Amino acid sequence: MKTSLKWAVVLAVLGGVLTTLAFLGAFYYARVQTFSTTVPVAREIALPAVKAGFPAPPESQASAPAGTVAVRRPWFSQKIFFFHVPIAVASLLVFTIAAIFSVLFLVKRKKSYDTRSRIAMEATLIFIVGTMISGDLWTRASWGVWWEWEPRLTTYAIMTLLVIAYFVLRNSVEDEERRATYAAVFSIFAWIDAPITFMITRIMPSQHPALAAMETSNLIPFMVGMAGMCMLGFAIYELRFNEEHLRERLAALKDDLEG
Amino acid sequence: MVDATNSLLYQLVLKDAPYVIAAYAVLWLALAGYVTVTLRRLMKLDKEVKLLEDAVAAKTEAQD
Repeated sequence: MKTSLKWAVVLAVLGGVLTTLAFLGAFYYARVQTFSTTVPVAREIALPAVKAGFPAPPESQASAPAGTVAVRRPWFSQKIFFFHVPIAVASLLVFTIAAIFSVLFLVKRKKSYDTRSRIAMEATLIFIVGTMISGDLWTRASWGVWWEWEPRLTTYAIMTLLVIAYFVLRNSVEDEERRATYAAVFSIFAWIDAPITFMITRIMPSQHPALAAMETSNLIPFMVGMAGMCMLGFAIYELRFNEEHLRERLAALKDDLEG
Repeated sequence: MVDATNSLLYQLVLKDAPYVIAAYAVLWLALAGYVTVTLRRLMKLDKEVKLLEDAVAAKTEAQD
């Protein structure tokens, strides 16, 4: 077994262990956070216990619209963040790796850079799908809808479509050299959406929760999950690269045997 | 007898729980499944490469 493959397996196992620890930490260690919301006065009668357990700050009471009362609601669905945010960050990281290899391919014209870029894009697609699924489940649980056209979700959805379009483009060009060049240029163009997605909640009003909303004590399982997911991302990338390398070696050996 | 605050808390938690469980289960199974399938494909390819390397070596020996 090659050294890089051994490392990939070690990272995959370590990533699995760390994400499992983050999962356990999310339930056994992290506190259930609360968020301020308002409910109609009519429903307030049903909520005295919540008000007693989680009193809303006086300033929220003062700013509550007429006919409503401010309460702090336990935010159990926030537990999804311990997996959702790390997988989203990992998707942006592997996307960046894909763009870097695309630039390297355009500069040096080496086929291996194109292969590396394609594999990183595959890993990006897996992580993007994971982010979208976990994000949608959170949106449904917290906002009561499956989708909301708000800046973060919209820019991430555009990124998803761009990554899918990358593979459509690859499959539609037959000439190997042209395919690699078009794909490299397209992946760099698509990557521009990654920093926009990351920064959008900081430059535009957005309903999407920011990391600052997380309690400091909850950061430990969150960071463990982040490290585990990044390791898994790199492991998937390395495993797939080794697989491609073996396929190329297999094709070369078949040629040797037949020639 | 369950305390009123706890009872309401449980209601709120149980309402969100299926989504939280589904998110973790889908992601974990998808990632674990992908890594396992890739590893199995790698092992199979590794065996095929070794077999072909032996075959090429035997062919070269026979030609010499």
